[in-house]
Amino acid sequence: MKNSNFLKYAALLVFVIAIGFFAYMVHASKALSYLSSDPKACINCHVMNTQYATWQHSSHAERAGCIDCHLPRDNMVNKYIAKARDGYNHSVAFTFNTYKNAIKISDDGAKRVQENCISCHASLTSQMTINSDNDHKYDDPSVATGRRCWECHKGVPHGKVRGLATTPNNLGVKEVK
Amino acid sequence: MMKFKLLLVGSLVAIGAMALLAGNITEREKQRVELAKAPSEAGIEGKAKSEEWAKYYPRQFDSWKKTKESDNLDDMLAKKPYLAVAWAGYPFSKDYNAPRGHYYAVQDNINSLRTGAPTDAKTGPLPTACWTCKSPDVPRLIEEDGELEYYTGKWAKYGAQVVNSVGCATCHDDKTAQLSVRVPHLNRGLAAAGLKSFEESTHQEKRSLVCAQCHVEYYFQKTEWKDAKGDAKTAMVVTLPYKNGLTVEGMEKYYDDINFSDWTNSISKTPMIKAQHPDWELWRTGIHGQKGVSCADCHMPYTQEGAVKYSDHQVQSPLKTMDKSCMNCHRESEEKLKGIVHQKMERKDFLMDIAFDNIGKAHIETGRAIEAGASDAELKEIRTLIRHAQWRGDMAIAGHGAFFHAPEEVLRLLGSANDQAQQARIKLVSILAKHGVMDYVAPEFDTKDKAQKIAKVDMPALIAEKLKFKETLEKEWKKEAAAKGRLAPNSVALDPAVDSKSSYFDKNKK
Repeated sequence: MKNSNFLKYAALLVFVIAIGFFAYMVHASKALSYLSSDPKACINCHVMNTQYATWQHSSHAERAGCIDCHLPRDNMVNKYIAKARDGYNHSVAFTFNTYKNAIKISDDGAKRVQENCISCHASLTSQMTINSDNDHKYDDPSVATGRRCWECHKGVPHGKVRGLATTPNNLGVKEVK
Repeated sequence: MMKFKLLLVGSLVAIGAMALLAGNITEREKQRVELAKAPSEAGIEGKAKSEEWAKYYPRQFDSWKKTKESDNLDDMLAKKPYLAVAWAGYPFSKDYNAPRGHYYAVQDNINSLRTGAPTDAKTGPLPTACWTCKSPDVPRLIEEDGELEYYTGKWAKYGAQVVNSVGCATCHDDKTAQLSVRVPHLNRGLAAAGLKSFEESTHQEKRSLVCAQCHVEYYFQKTEWKDAKGDAKTAMVVTLPYKNGLTVEGMEKYYDDINFSDWTNSISKTPMIKAQHPDWELWRTGIHGQKGVSCADCHMPYTQEGAVKYSDHQVQSPLKTMDKSCMNCHRESEEKLKGIVHQKMERKDFLMDIAFDNIGKAHIETGRAIEAGASDAELKEIRTLIRHAQWRGDMAIAGHGAFFHAPEEVLRLLGSANDQAQQARIKLVSILAKHGVMDYVAPEFDTKDKAQKIAKVDMPALIAEKLKFKETLEKEWKKEAAAKGRLAPNSVALDPAVDSKSSYFDKNKK
């Protein structure tokens, strides 16, 4: 009886410590920011500094943040599924240092961005999309016959050089204000 | 009770996992703080020693130290034997390897058979100028002794002084860590060409100009001067031949106008010019140079490790860092890009072999014409053609990356070299015939041995005296340098691995 009481209190104590530690971890890793739409959340882990800096100087900075282009905007469920999946992949890659320095968007990511380009610039692209639907296959992940917006609009919004060399003086996590 | 056991174990596992993650986050935060460290206004004491800089720039230092990995000794004379004939009578016909990493710059200068086997501070064969590009000890010597004194005398004079290999202080100011150049020849060359000085250049231009301290075409200009005591001395000053511009034709005219020759080819008795390593000049004419991509962009790419970003100081072929070097701009596959680069090299090799085969034969046929009694007046035009042919060919190949930096220019130069060598050979046929030599066929030079025999290079004797030098004078140099504190105790120069390999001692050391 005495033994089982000890186990009970020990287990509860350790559980409380774990909860406390978890709360600290949520704070240290700024985890709550991932629930927001603040672009700063995307540079928590230092990898996206270049993308953040180039976006900050772009014509899109006033109008659209990271998630406006990179996450699905059709409904909340799709948005949060994509957010969770990307977040998991990114945190694994950063923690274990398995990512390449010249980051390339995934086919799924490219498809999302393409859809978002069209959705914001609908009035500009409506006739174009009607015309191009005859020739281009936006849904084809290999884009064998189609073109993505940024293949011509190369500098939008991250600059033509897409990698660490774009922002040479943006070392570490220095933010461009 | 079971559920409390589960709760205990589960909580402990969760705490363990979170502790690991917390450690990772703390480590990344520490990296951010480290970045802010920098040397003070007082500068770095003993700045020629790269080990002293490691306290502030550990990653840059560690990556610089990795230039040790580039230790391949590619015997270029074995690969391209015709070079020994082209360079007959010149130290390059003795020993010429593809370059190793910056880590080895001083040691390779000492090991090369080209620098001979001096027995004391006054013996040759080469001048002190040969140290200029090898070490941050050189600007130190220029500051201490004066530039003209530094350039006076034989190479062995500074054997115990020039001990730290190309390192931090070669390109950086020790107070601010900004890019800087402390050797005077670069700015003099830029001024002669009417270009902006190093200090007036943009940061991006400086990221190539620091390389241009060494990776350029230069010659040693004989300069008479008097020291403080009034003694007449002769300095051999490193000088960039840019007065008529940075083109190969401009430099050729510069050398012709002052009647300069590095040496006289011992077979054809032609006054020759040896191209050094005009990497910077050729890069400027190629597409990357014209688009403003700097040397450092590809050879010292920005690198991300955890929370920090720094320039990789392991200067090497960008094909080894394609993700960080090429893929920033080029969005196709690494394999495809690599294939394009290799194709450029194959095209260069194709034309190089043809052009230098003709240059080698022109030398040998001229030698035969001399034997048959042809006069200098008869051979004058031919020798000019050979001189220009070899200069242009050499300019195309002397910098190992030129085939990539400026592919069209390299092929243009090799085409022009081949044309002039052929013109010389056509004229030689009639001169040989005039002196009664019909159907002469030059002996083969398709192996290093055959070519060096024609160039009269006595390898066993050269190797024997070099090994003796390494056992005697070189050992004294290293001892003195260590005793006088010119080397850090953990210096690379004291690393036996640095001296473990050469093109000749592996075969000759027992």
